[in-house]
Order: sequence, then C-alpha cells, then structure tokens
Amino acid sequence: MLDLIIRNIMNRKVRSGLTVCGIALGIFAVIVMGAMSENFHQTFERSMSVTSDKIRVFAESGVFGGGLTDNKVSDVLRVAGVKDAYGILMTTFDEDKMGMTGKQILGIPPEKSSVALYPVELKAGRFLNPGDSYNVVVGSNIKREYKLQIGSKFEIHDKYFTVVGILDYTGSIFDNAVIIPLETAQDLYDVGNSVSYIFVVPDERVDTEMLSKRIELSVKGTSTLSPGELEVQARQSFMIFSVITISSGLLAAIIGGLCVMNTMLMSVTERTREFGILKAIGAETRDILLLTLGEASFMGFFGGILGILIGTGAVYIMNAWLANTRIVLFLITPRLLVIAMLFAILIGAFSGLYPAYRASKMSPMEALKHA
Amino acid sequence: MHEMGIKGKGLKTPNNQKEDKIRSNLRNEEQKIIMQVENLSKTYYQGKIPVHALRCACITVRKGELLAIMGPSGSGKSTLLALIGTLEKATDGKIILDGTDLTSVPEKLLPRVRREKIGFIFQHYNLIPTLSALENVELSMRFSRMPKKERVERAAALLEELGLGGRLSHKPSELSGGEQQRVSIARALANKPAVILADEPTGEVDSKTRDSIVRVFKELSEKGQTILVVTHDPEVAKECSRILRITDGVIKDN
Repeated sequence: MLDLIIRNIMNRKVRSGLTVCGIALGIFAVIVMGAMSENFHQTFERSMSVTSDKIRVFAESGVFGGGLTDNKVSDVLRVAGVKDAYGILMTTFDEDKMGMTGKQILGIPPEKSSVALYPVELKAGRFLNPGDSYNVVVGSNIKREYKLQIGSKFEIHDKYFTVVGILDYTGSIFDNAVIIPLETAQDLYDVGNSVSYIFVVPDERVDTEMLSKRIELSVKGTSTLSPGELEVQARQSFMIFSVITISSGLLAAIIGGLCVMNTMLMSVTERTREFGILKAIGAETRDILLLTLGEASFMGFFGGILGILIGTGAVYIMNAWLANTRIVLFLITPRLLVIAMLFAILIGAFSGLYPAYRASKMSPMEALKHA
Repeated sequence: MHEMGIKGKGLKTPNNQKEDKIRSNLRNEEQKIIMQVENLSKTYYQGKIPVHALRCACITVRKGELLAIMGPSGSGKSTLLALIGTLEKATDGKIILDGTDLTSVPEKLLPRVRREKIGFIFQHYNLIPTLSALENVELSMRFSRMPKKERVERAAALLEELGLGGRLSHKPSELSGGEQQRVSIARALANKPAVILADEPTGEVDSKTRDSIVRVFKELSEKGQTILVVTHDPEVAKECSRILRITDGVIKDN
C-alpha cells in the first residue's frame, strides 16, 4: 500500500509540493519559536540549579521600592537557621537599553563572591577578594563580547575596572553578569548603603520554607522569596512565555494542516470515480482510509522534514548573526525535533481524517457514476 | 418398513431406476446453477415519487453460461447488474450466488464478496490511470492480501493469456481501447470470481475489437466462467448462449 500512497503523492507533484510547503512553513515556525522557548527553558533550569539553595529577602515594598539596606543583613543573620547572609545590589548594565540585553551588574561583598556564585566555576583568574574595589569578575558572554582577558580594563559607568576573573559558561543568567564589589557598586550608582535584596544561605537540614517565614516575621519591613516560591514564580513566567511562543508556531502549523485538508478534499473529489472502482473490485473501507490517510500523513512527514531542515538552518543562521551581539536566542534540542516531526505527521493525518472518511463512505455506485 | 428397506437396498424395479436417474439429473442440473435471482426489485425515490427500476426479476444462471442482458436505455439492465454486483441494495428479493445469499450479507462483508465472487468489466474500462496494466490487474488481488510474488505472477499470466504480454508496464493512456478492455477483463478474472458482470463492454470499441472481446468471453465461457453481459449490440448478444430482455424494469423474455 505504501507504494500506492507515494505514487499518488508523486502523481500530483505541484499540488502535493505546495501542500508540503504549507506544512513545512508551519513546522518552520514551530522550530523557530520552539528553539526560542527551549533556549529560555535551558537558561531557566540552569539558573534555578545555580541559585536554588538560597532565600532572597526583599524590602516589603518590593525590589524597586528601596528601603533595604546593609543594616538589615545583620538582622537577618540573627535569625535561627541562617548560616550566612549578604546584600546584593543588582542593576542593569546597559541603562540606555533598559536592560533588554540581559546584562546585569551584580554588586556582591568581595569576600562572599565565591559563595554567592557557587556552583559557578572560574574559567580564568579568581573571584573578588576583600580589599578589591575596582576589580571585576565577568560572565562568559561578557568576556566574549568585549574580548576581555585577565588584566583587561573594562569601563562601567565611566569608571575603569580591571578584570580579575572570568566565569565558566553556565547557560544561566551568570553568563551575562558583571560582578563588582558591593561598596563600589553602591558608590558608583550613588545608592548609599542600599541593596536590591539579601541572599540568605540556610543552615544544612533547615526547612527553607519555614526559615523564609521566620525571616519575614523576625525582620520587620521585609518579604522573602524561598527557593520553592521562586521556582513556582519562575515556572509560571516560563509557562506564559512558552505558551505565547509555541502557540504562534502551532498556529502556523495548523494553517499548514488546513492546506493538507484542502488538498486532500480536492483530491478525494477528483478521484471519486477511482474510489468507486477500488470499491467495486473489493477494496475494504480500511483500504480506502489507509490510502487517503496515508497520503495526508506522508505529506505531513515530508513537510515536517522540510520544515525542520529550513527551521534548523534559519536558527543556525540567526544564532550566528546574533553571535556578534553575544545574544543566544535559539536552542534546538532533540526533544524539539521529535515534537516537531510528530506534530507534522499528526497534523497531516488529522487533516486527512475528514477527506478519508468521505472517501471511505462513498457509495460505490454513486462514485462510479461520477464524471 | 423392513420390506421397503430391502427394496430400497437391492431390488430396484425399472420404475425406481428411472426415478433415480431423473433425481440424479436434477441434482446435476442444480449443481450447475451458479446464480439464482428471485423476485428481485429495486425502487428509487425521486423526491417522494417512487421509480421502479426493477420489478420481481427472476433469473437462473448456470455455470459457464454467457448471458446477454438487452433492453432499451433506462430499462433496468445496469440496475440488475449493480444489484448482482452488490454495488446497490435491493428493495426486495434474493440473489443467491455460488451458495451465498448476497442480499443478506452484512455491509461490512460486501467488499470480500466483491473480491471473491464477482468480477466487473465496465464500458469505460475504469482502469486506474496512474497504474500500469500489470498493477491494475494486481490491484484486486492486493486487496485480497495475496503475497506480492504470487499476485504479480498471476496478473502477468492473465495478461499474457489475453495477448498483452508485451504491454505489462504500459499505462492505460498508452493502450488502445481494445487493449484497455482486455486489461479490464484480466482484472475481473484476477480473483477467479464465480461470475463476471460486464456492463456494455464493447460500447466504446470498433467492430474488430468488439469481435475479439466477444471471442475472449466465449473462450472463458467454454472454460466454465459465467459471464453476464449487458449490451445494446445484437452482434454481441447473438454470440451469447442466452439472451435476457428487460423493458421498464421487467424481464420480458428469458
């Protein structure tokens, strides 16, 4: 039956070709949007794994509300179950670009830099040390973009810093981080002794959720984000992002599916007499179903292959182009390829269901009378 | 009772022997009957108006018969063929083909009946244009799930037998009308059916091709293949073993 299916597709080259292109376009969109989502997903998962053991303490008025100062750190440290705590000042690196590039300045007490960044490792140099003021540790993307090496001078907010450490690639937010001493950051951005949030390292075997609540109750004017809460919030944001990106891809693929349905309906109508002949010579309903569904699924399959090839090529080109700006936006994973392929076949088969049903239900006599 | 038993066993009178012979002849006659159509009727509805396409048709067809069905257009010939071929459902009556009552076969099993018991030959050949002659003949055996090697061999042998040995890979568009009809005959014969139903098989061909087709039918009939031919052509009908005439859905002359 496979040879008949392929032959029927090949016998209508132009029409089948256009239908395959319709599916391919949809799958192309699924691949591109999916690759964006996959990249976001990977960054999210890695960022979560790097910071999942810490509690974040914010000012009650929120991260932008201000009011959280170094003084609160000592209050937090007094709470039972807190192993360590330190303030972090976080601000965008490209102020004129509203932080759209994802690059961030992290002001961290120098003596805590290795702990705060754990488990991120150094590729070269060292972490910040007590006494460092205009030294900086940079993430792997920053290093590539500004072609930095240990000892390079790096300008931040009109001041020159010396690069003392370069972080290993993590696939997380730390790849775009510029880490400077907290006090220097506070001076540089003229925020007094304010911090954006306090990182709390819990004692071993302490329930982080409970500790989180305890901090909120003990230190007035603060709110906390436990690792669990952070994960829930982040996952929700990730879900929304994924739904938006993937649904636009799916929409395109569904349009491709409608192409298949249209082609198959035309094909079934054109071949009404042929189906009548097949039935007269003893074809079963399932044979007719298999022929028509098989054609639709194969067009989906070919469209899937073509869409994946074009999509992968486009993602490769866009990633190469974006490499100049050091932004990685797309990531193609085996999971994405399998999903796209299955989706292409399913959409083909699903779109072929109605035409196949129509073909299989034809009365052989009526079909034979068809001109 | 005892006496009768002895009589029955060994002491046959001349009268009994005659009765046995008659019974045996009748049995042989019955065995030869391949198809019986009993009170077959078909009524269509055009809106609410009933149209009686066929009324109480009764036909007996013996194995190997070449039966011509004649009648004017719209007389019900093709309807009769469609009913026997299970392409349409009868309103009333019975069709017993090769021991099976076709009117009581469930819808699901009809394709199997068509494959195993019936072969169709159409006026317009009705070959699949994208398939070669060999593949067209092979097609019905494919639906019977016959192994590929076997069905290709059989299809090639049938086409060879019908003088198309050199045309196996030709598409219908590359064959003449007569050749296409012979492919169609080979396709009808593929599954060794109990009956071949031919609807105006010579309607589209010239007289020379018509004669060659009729010759094929006669040869097949001589080999025991039952064939029902719907035709307008008296030249075809006169070559058949029997002629059945239908007018206004009623069999007038059998």
